[in-house]
Amino acid sequence: MNAGAKSAPISIRRIVATALPAAAAIAVFGTFYGAGAGKILGASLTIASSLFIFSGALQFALVALVAAGASPLPLLLAAATLNLRHLVLGAVLRPRIGGSRMRRTGSAFFLVDETFGFALAAGNAAERDGQDTQAAAERTLLVAGALCYLAWQLGTIIGVLGATLAPVEGLAGAIFPVLFIGLAALTATRWSHTLRAVAAALLTAGLALAVPDLRTFAPLIAGVLAALPPGDR
Amino acid sequence: MSPWLLAAIALITYASRAVALVVLPRPSARVEAVLARMPAPIFASLAMSTLIGDGGALAGGPILWAAAGALLAAPQRSLALCLIGGAAGYALAALLS
Repeated sequence: MNAGAKSAPISIRRIVATALPAAAAIAVFGTFYGAGAGKILGASLTIASSLFIFSGALQFALVALVAAGASPLPLLLAAATLNLRHLVLGAVLRPRIGGSRMRRTGSAFFLVDETFGFALAAGNAAERDGQDTQAAAERTLLVAGALCYLAWQLGTIIGVLGATLAPVEGLAGAIFPVLFIGLAALTATRWSHTLRAVAAALLTAGLALAVPDLRTFAPLIAGVLAALPPGDR
Repeated sequence: MSPWLLAAIALITYASRAVALVVLPRPSARVEAVLARMPAPIFASLAMSTLIGDGGALAGGPILWAAAGALLAAPQRSLALCLIGGAAGYALAALLS
């Protein structure tokens, strides 16, 4: 860590340029959410869910449960279990993120898989460049988070209004694996990290195929298991 | 779903995000060492999970080609190059299909 350095922080323009492809893909999936959820929850609750929850995986799961006639308890349990990953993401990010408790309280709202990755990558880049790593990570979480948040809201509203972005669904679907591969490459700073990443990917595939019900949690389980063995080469 | 239920779910979601970032103390050095090893495996796992759909089916051809393009660019450790590699893989698959 180099939290005490005084170099210029990462620019907002650079953060936006980095996060833009992910935000575009998030907007596309937002339209699918808006179109699907609008018919089940109604327009106002659909838009409110995106405004206040801001979690694609959870929101899609909630709509599926509501459509299946689930009572409030399963919905709350789904929220609790699907959100478990945030605890791990937050714990990983905590030592790398600066700012006061108040600022972290605000930026925590934007903690999703993609913004977690951008924040970590920005911290790593700042460390290489001799800049303030914690400020870079915090600023990136906030700016990339706001961008992805706006994209999710825009997509939801477009979907609720009945418009479709189906022609670019394939391209949007390709952005996420590419993005996560890129983030894995950026954060694999040692050979052991690369080996752990490969092991985690294989473990994820094995878990998802062997226990399909665990598919949502497989990345988290595999990521944690791959990180546990000691040693850093 | 009632607005109150939605509010409760939003609260649970925000709390899950804020607990580790805001409430919990900074982890010990030993825990921090484990946490420092987590990002690359987590991202690799997330990448793999986006390639496997419901029922264990693999993603469509262009998405796999995009992932292959990104993997080829991965040793450069540049997000931009991975995105370019992914776009090239996707475009190649679209051309061939």
